[in-house]
Amino acid sequence: MWNDIFVNIFEDGFFAAIAAIGFSSISNTPRRAYLTCAVIAAIGHAIRYVLTLPELGSLHIIPASAAASFAIGLCAVLLAPRIKCPAEVCFFPALLPMIPGMYAYRTIEALLSCLYHTQEDMFSHYFYLFAFNGLTCAFIILGMVVGATIPVFILKKLSFTATR
Amino acid sequence: MRFPELLTNGMKQRIVDMGDCEDHSALRKTAAFLADYASLLLGCGSTCIRIEKNTRRMAEAFGVDLGIFIMPDHVAVSVWRGDCAHAETAQRKTVSCGISFDLNTRLSRLSWKVADNGLSLHAALECFERIKTMTKPTGKWEVLILTSFANAAFCRLFGGDWYAMLIVFLSTLAGFRLKQIMLEDGRDVRLTFLCASFFSASISAGGHIFNIGSTPELALGTSVLFLIPGVPYINSVSDLIYRHYLCAFSRFLDAAVLTACLSAGLCAGMLILGLKWF
Repeated sequence: MWNDIFVNIFEDGFFAAIAAIGFSSISNTPRRAYLTCAVIAAIGHAIRYVLTLPELGSLHIIPASAAASFAIGLCAVLLAPRIKCPAEVCFFPALLPMIPGMYAYRTIEALLSCLYHTQEDMFSHYFYLFAFNGLTCAFIILGMVVGATIPVFILKKLSFTATR
Repeated sequence: MRFPELLTNGMKQRIVDMGDCEDHSALRKTAAFLADYASLLLGCGSTCIRIEKNTRRMAEAFGVDLGIFIMPDHVAVSVWRGDCAHAETAQRKTVSCGISFDLNTRLSRLSWKVADNGLSLHAALECFERIKTMTKPTGKWEVLILTSFANAAFCRLFGGDWYAMLIVFLSTLAGFRLKQIMLEDGRDVRLTFLCASFFSASISAGGHIFNIGSTPELALGTSVLFLIPGVPYINSVSDLIYRHYLCAFSRFLDAAVLTACLSAGLCAGMLILGLKWF
């Protein structure tokens, strides 16, 4: 069982790293930052995976995302001076694989379904989905950014002198 | 200012005026440079706190006091020496250059060069112009391939099998290429997002229709995720934390509108192909 869990954690980190490199290329990240972004994303996503596992952390996705983002922020602040990039150049691409995209567009889908269905029970069902997905999405993003910003606050001097 | 006794009062006054004139001209140039710098930094997707810190750092190095006013679409910079009643103000429209962390890095480095090496305004301007012209976006084919792999990896993170990953890879390749073509043609970004998501969703729906693999619904769901504007969402919360509420709200709405467009494209694709939404 533990063997499977370790393989899954490694797999989660590996695919998060690929996703981070791809998404950072869309935002024109300097090439020398790719590896750092990938490593930080792998660490962050693997932490979130472990925290949400029923056998281990069994945390809700919102606090798990915030905790993982804190780790991402900390790694980014510490590693950014090595590649002479601002801290957000490292942690933004690393956070992107954790952006709750599914919740975001399901919110809009549910909203469109609300307009499409006029019967009360169906409308209520889709309104529930709209509220559930919307709130989850908003609070995951809020938790992520607050989590990643705390290390920037704590290590303010280091965070804003990375490109010095 | 001390004057030789031979000068008349009128001559003394003219010298004072000339000094003031030169000072105002220098202030005006400094304000113009800092406003250009801040508007480019805002355009490349930097957070408000970064813009404030970088411009203030350079203003201190130039020996001027600074007031900066960041709005979603404009930046206004005021600089003065001692008495703020004689401030010079420059206002610039946000440069629409697209998100670029490369530009952000180079501009941040320029601010430290000015602060640490005591770069003059003229040298800083030259350096700034060089950054503007030399910074090229990542190659479009490189971005296309990397994004397709990224979205396929994303599908795996949601539990998709290898077939679903392949479908997502192909649909992202097609959808992202369409996005690049439409943006190169100067089409509206919202229309572009709608069309790209419709295109990607329609291709990935093939997995659902022909029953390819064991997780075709995940392929369909993740095929449009490459369009989610993650950076504006993160920026908006960052601005919110640092009390730049207007910028935060504007960035959030921009991102929400794009999310609505991609959802509409996805829904249209599913509706046309007769698939259930949930």
